[in-house]
Amino acid sequence: MPQPLSTREANLFRTVIRHYEDKQYKRGLKAAEQILKKNPKHADTMSMKALIMNAQGKTDEAFALAKEALTIDMKSHICWHVYGILYRTNKNFDEAIKAYKFALKLEPDSQQIQRDLAILQIQMRDYQGYVQSRLVMLKARPQLRQNWTALAIAYHLEGNLKQAETILSTFEKSVTTAPSKTDFENSEAVLYKNSIIAEAGDIGRALEHLEADGNNNLDRLAVMELRARYLAQLGRGADAAKAYRALLDRNSEHPDYYKSLIEALGISKDDEDSQKAVYDEYAVKNPRSDAARRLPLDFLTDENFKVAARAYLNLMFDKGVPSTFANLKHLYSDSFKQTTLPALAEEYLNEHKSTGGEKEHANGDSSKGEGAALYFLAQHYNYFMSRDLTKAMAFVEKALELDPKNVDFHMTKARIYKHQGDLEKASVAMDEARSLDTRDRYINSKAAKYQLRNNENDRALQTMGLFTRVETAGGPLADLIDMQCIWYLTEDGEAWQRRGNVGLALKRYHTIFNIFDIWQEDQFDFHSFSLRKGQIRAYIDMVRWEDELREHPFFFRAALDAIKLYIAMHDKPQGPNGVNGTGGSGANGGDVAEKKKAAKKAKKEAQKAEREAAEKAAKQDPNKTTAPKSKDVEDVKKKDDDPTGLKLVATSDPLGDALKFLGPLLQFSPRNIEGQIAGFEVYFRRRKYMLALRCLKAALALDKDDPRVQEQAVRLRKAVDPVLASLAPKLQEVIGLTFASGASS
Amino acid sequence: MDIRVLRPSDIPLIQHANIENLPENYFLKYYLYHALSWPQLSYVAVDVSRPRKTPYDYPKIVGYVLAKMEEEPADGVQHGHITSLSVMRTHRRLGIAEKLMRQSQLAMVETFGAHYVSLHVRVSNNAAIHLYRDTLGFKTEKTEAKYYADGEDAYCMKLELSFIRESLHEGPRAIVAADKDDAEKAKGDDEDGAAAEAGEDVDEGEAVGDVGRDPDAKKSAPKKKKEEVKIKVGRGLGVGELVEKNEAKHS
Repeated sequence: MPQPLSTREANLFRTVIRHYEDKQYKRGLKAAEQILKKNPKHADTMSMKALIMNAQGKTDEAFALAKEALTIDMKSHICWHVYGILYRTNKNFDEAIKAYKFALKLEPDSQQIQRDLAILQIQMRDYQGYVQSRLVMLKARPQLRQNWTALAIAYHLEGNLKQAETILSTFEKSVTTAPSKTDFENSEAVLYKNSIIAEAGDIGRALEHLEADGNNNLDRLAVMELRARYLAQLGRGADAAKAYRALLDRNSEHPDYYKSLIEALGISKDDEDSQKAVYDEYAVKNPRSDAARRLPLDFLTDENFKVAARAYLNLMFDKGVPSTFANLKHLYSDSFKQTTLPALAEEYLNEHKSTGGEKEHANGDSSKGEGAALYFLAQHYNYFMSRDLTKAMAFVEKALELDPKNVDFHMTKARIYKHQGDLEKASVAMDEARSLDTRDRYINSKAAKYQLRNNENDRALQTMGLFTRVETAGGPLADLIDMQCIWYLTEDGEAWQRRGNVGLALKRYHTIFNIFDIWQEDQFDFHSFSLRKGQIRAYIDMVRWEDELREHPFFFRAALDAIKLYIAMHDKPQGPNGVNGTGGSGANGGDVAEKKKAAKKAKKEAQKAEREAAEKAAKQDPNKTTAPKSKDVEDVKKKDDDPTGLKLVATSDPLGDALKFLGPLLQFSPRNIEGQIAGFEVYFRRRKYMLALRCLKAALALDKDDPRVQEQAVRLRKAVDPVLASLAPKLQEVIGLTFASGASS
Repeated sequence: MDIRVLRPSDIPLIQHANIENLPENYFLKYYLYHALSWPQLSYVAVDVSRPRKTPYDYPKIVGYVLAKMEEEPADGVQHGHITSLSVMRTHRRLGIAEKLMRQSQLAMVETFGAHYVSLHVRVSNNAAIHLYRDTLGFKTEKTEAKYYADGEDAYCMKLELSFIRESLHEGPRAIVAADKDDAEKAKGDDEDGAAAEAGEDVDEGEAVGDVGRDPDAKKSAPKKKKEEVKIKVGRGLGVGELVEKNEAKHS
């Protein structure tokens, strides 16, 4: 039961809320204190105060105060609502939902609480709960189209396609006046409904609906693409072909259109000439289309291939296109093509060496074609399938003779050094490439990457700092973290790991982990935003992508690095900062005293680094107080209390910490064998043999010939044999079967 | 190469391409904001020639155009804006940037009725200026002093899209009944392209890119509608930063 306040204080209470919303936290607190002076036990005010403190980063105090408020007034929906928000901002979504539900029980008509609850439910993918919430919200305000769409979304995501369609149709029928042609919400709703019909598998009806309601749709491309696809799926070849031609006239660089057109025309996969004729038609129509010229190289064979490849290479070399090799290297899986392409490049070189002058007018650079061909050959011999590094180097040197300041040539030279295993030379060469075009961030990024590969963390950060924002407090690294620069954090972490600085390596991997948390959290605002914007299909796409977010290779690589490092820490616990991070079990002794000494030294160094970092941070504080001015709000950025990762290193349970990374790895990328192998290593060491067995089985299913998996099978067998007899018969059977399949290879 | 409309799942690698190529960067949410507000306007160039490394490979983005509609145009005229455009150095000189731009421009007119498209470009970025002015037909409106964080000036450029609007009006709007006419019309568009081909060697030697001044450029997020709610305790968190900053500025 809300405690009554005097008029003056009730007004003050409203200002507290307003200040909070405007992020004027200090003022908000002041106003709250004023109320509390007269009414020290006013629970709602205490809750608001807690909310503000939470926003200021004082989480623990905020929770304590909010709890106290709740004990004073268990019947206040504000207290419960605040309690829910506290949980929400601290990412305990389940507890937040519970608190919101309490609040809603006390104040069933609060649309605000209902909406907050609904958003959390969809964020947590509680589809049933979301359907219920959206039903209530629809009943409260059925005049809003958004509410109908939202309910349809809820059913759709829950998997109830029929009900989703019905809801959309019900609204459509309730509208008496025809929506205007520029009504974007309506236009998108039509396509959303169409996507649901198609998803349910009724392509015939989807086409019917599209042709009836899709004319004049504002998303013209989507209608054209959907229609073409439906026609093709329904076997209406002639109509589908027409539709794909219309699409190709819009965009002749989309390979799917060509493939679909050829299929729709009923051209057989073996009929090279007819296929080629289709592409040729568009090559003529679009003199600048790359796809129409390049795609036939995928299916042409023998002499046909040679003729087409020659024409394509000549065109690319004449234009001096540096990406020619990158666009053709996928053809190397075919050995004929792999030998033909460099031969054609040589042919071009022989023809163009002496006649260089004639093109001078067109390009102002007679050596362009020759350089491009040499560049192609250098890349050819640098590619793993056709590698001959001596030849590669010879060609790149020749190219450099023609054009000594060409960044691309220098870049390739660096890459050749890298493949030779000379990381230092590679780093130097890439930095030279960088120095030739200091305004281009691409080459700058590459230089930094090569420095990291050569374990030059500090120099790499300096290089990156040439392009990061100067204003960011905390320097280049802070900017790279803010801007979620995953590649840099990964490479930096791996370099630290190679150098044995476990703390900083872990720090980087955890930072990447946190960035993925942010990316998951990022969708939160769009649950309501997208309803207002009406872009429903894009929203559904996002939700489905977010569901699989951590399958991304960005996540996988950092997580696997972290797990391997934790395993190494477990295997060699005595040297927190001296661990050789390359992983692998079976540590061989070494001089223990020496190690201890090294560890001590490393620890000292790390402490020194931390002190320096703290001092640096302290020096930056004055800036910080001025920085928020530009933002107009008291934005409190939480200070990193462990910038060098010392706390992460100090863990007593590295394998336990590894689980944080391992869980999502196995959940989202189960078909990646590296994850299963790492999972086995963690579970085996934790003596979780059933879980280790599960990883082993998965790995065997992916590649039973992998020697690492074979070795794991043997190791697990040895470990469980002594206890096998005591296990349940069913378990024995499973384990026995796995070993049998592992050994059968 | 595959040029197609952006999908939300492309975003991590678009962000990667951006930070690899350009000094103006954004966090992922800002890309989401584009993708979920104007999904028709942003395009990507995908390297389809890469051999797969894992079962979870994502399409490698080698170029992108991130575009939007101006939400509250100062001149009251519906128009688009290019937030960022870049092509990886390894994939330049293929005309990718131009092709991305043309797709985006077409969608701006078709879907959102844009009258023109605007952008900012560094005054020193000759390659980009050449693309915009000579190949695509942009005109320089004015120079904005110290537009970029490092103090460099920007040209504010603008392209009237009436040529696309007209070509759309020529043929019947109906998509279904008029495949043929569409084809003819689209051909007309291509001829426009051919006219621009005077600049045949569109040199994309440098990253062409442009962005709003503020990497936190969330300022243009839509305003939240005022709702009459007794207690709006959760508002700050429910609607989120996209909106909050905007309101703070207005208050």
